[in-house]
Amino acid sequence: MLRLTRRLMGACLALVVIASGPAWAANDDDTSKMTSLKVMLDWYTNPSHAPLVIAQQRGFFEQHGLDVELVSPADPSVPPKLVAAGKIDMAISYQPQLHLQVDQGLPLVRVGTLIATPLNITLVRADSDIESMEDLAGKSIGYSVGGVEKVLIDTMLEHNGVSPEDVEMVNVNFALTPALIGEKVDAVTGAFRNFELAQMAQEGVKGRAFYIEEEGVPTYDELIFIANRDTLDANRDAYTRFMAAVEEATAWIINHPDEGWEAFKASDPALDTPVNKKAWYNTIPRFALRPATLDGRRYETFESFLLERGQIKAKSPLSRLAVDLSQP
Amino acid sequence: MSVLKRFWPALFGIVCILGLWQALVVITGVPGYVLPSPLAVMQAFAAHQQLLWHHAGITVIEIVAGLFIGCIGGLGTALALARFHGLRRTLLPILLISQAVPLFALAPILMLWLGYGMTAKIVMATLIIYFPVASTCYDGLRQTPQGWLDLAQTLGADRRRRLLRIQLPAALPALASGMRMAASAAPIGAVIGEWVGSSQGLGYLMLNANARMQVDLMFAALLILVTFGVALYFTTDALMRRLMPWHEDRTGATS
Repeated sequence: MLRLTRRLMGACLALVVIASGPAWAANDDDTSKMTSLKVMLDWYTNPSHAPLVIAQQRGFFEQHGLDVELVSPADPSVPPKLVAAGKIDMAISYQPQLHLQVDQGLPLVRVGTLIATPLNITLVRADSDIESMEDLAGKSIGYSVGGVEKVLIDTMLEHNGVSPEDVEMVNVNFALTPALIGEKVDAVTGAFRNFELAQMAQEGVKGRAFYIEEEGVPTYDELIFIANRDTLDANRDAYTRFMAAVEEATAWIINHPDEGWEAFKASDPALDTPVNKKAWYNTIPRFALRPATLDGRRYETFESFLLERGQIKAKSPLSRLAVDLSQP
Repeated sequence: MSVLKRFWPALFGIVCILGLWQALVVITGVPGYVLPSPLAVMQAFAAHQQLLWHHAGITVIEIVAGLFIGCIGGLGTALALARFHGLRRTLLPILLISQAVPLFALAPILMLWLGYGMTAKIVMATLIIYFPVASTCYDGLRQTPQGWLDLAQTLGADRRRRLLRIQLPAALPALASGMRMAASAAPIGAVIGEWVGSSQGLGYLMLNANARMQVDLMFAALLILVTFGVALYFTTDALMRRLMPWHEDRTGATS
């Protein structure tokens, strides 16, 4: 048995060497100029990540001297921890989450924006008697894992004159659409307007959305790129080039939406679903046109909002939360 | 005093591990959100006592209800299988197939059928417990020494009596190991259910603590679960020993 294993290992090793031999030979001259970056997505690949997939596919990263590896996490609470621990270079996260994590002392900083509007909505079935958020009193609301989800929904409820004690919060751990369609909860919060609405429609159920920025929560960047503050200076140049590639990919997607969809689904056959196609077109208007640029006021306003709600212990200065790589 | 004497080696082992863990955290300076120190866990435990006990109460109810229903169901199934030969051909294959289904994969569907309340968690715990109890008990019932059965036949016992007076007591050692296994698996069932979707319970608390980077609180919840699992194991063990005073347990011979 052992001998067989050894033989197999030997064979595998030989194969690896043979397979990678030509690759080494080919890359020998340009590896010196290539910077590798390991970037972790916030969740499994979906149209929100389009600029990254397209930049990878059409060679924008390569043109900027970057060798980018995109990885999906097993659990969305993991990426920020891995960035803080220095295991990956960059991760996609959410602006509200960043404020909480910086307050908890994680050495994280925003280096770019992927989606420049909130995507978060509270979603109910269109055939339910919930016409506005006021009607949520006495109802159950499903939410996904998220440290900040509870704060946001509480704000939205209070804004509509509903006490948070009057609703039952159910953690449905990412099964947002099934829980709502199966009528196991009356509403879900933390759903994404570009994806979950399309997913519901696909199942033949019309949804009614309440938009977070219209319900008393200050507007924010839904998806951001975060990096480790302690190693930022060493990687600043690579991150700047990364944002440039993402910007080019975004512009290309906006100019060629249909061709973009074809390219996106070609990257992984599993992405070719009707829901993703709908979500693709829903997401295009929401990409940050200038990913590196920082809207500082937005971050300061949100930080004040969280302090007011008692969700953070102290106010961090803007420089601790975010950097603007577009500044020369 | 005698209790202390019996358990001090185990206690010593646990204290050693905790000491090592604390030292590891202090020496490596690993941040709290990656691995909290035992002290931090204890502090979280003290700070969130009310919260922890409230959610623990919910989970304990789910576990105990699941254990009870699962054991009764498993025992009933085993007895029915032993008594009615016709059932074996239909029920036994189903039982075997169902053993091979990873229950974790069923959990999300269970939630959608039964909602996010307690029922789904109890069903989950019941399912996890039911199969080991049913299969170990059935195996035990089949392995009655032939001599005893012959004796019963000679004394004119009918089939029902033979099953309840001879085969069932003879199956108790096998059933005991099934029950012990079930007792340690019961908390897993309830927590899997809570993990998939819930509004209360230790699993719910752990999910939220994880998302909020309160890893120390997560460990505190875990500590309660482990303690309860161990307590449940020993309670079941003691109960089963009580039930079969004739059965020699060689582990006890040393004390």
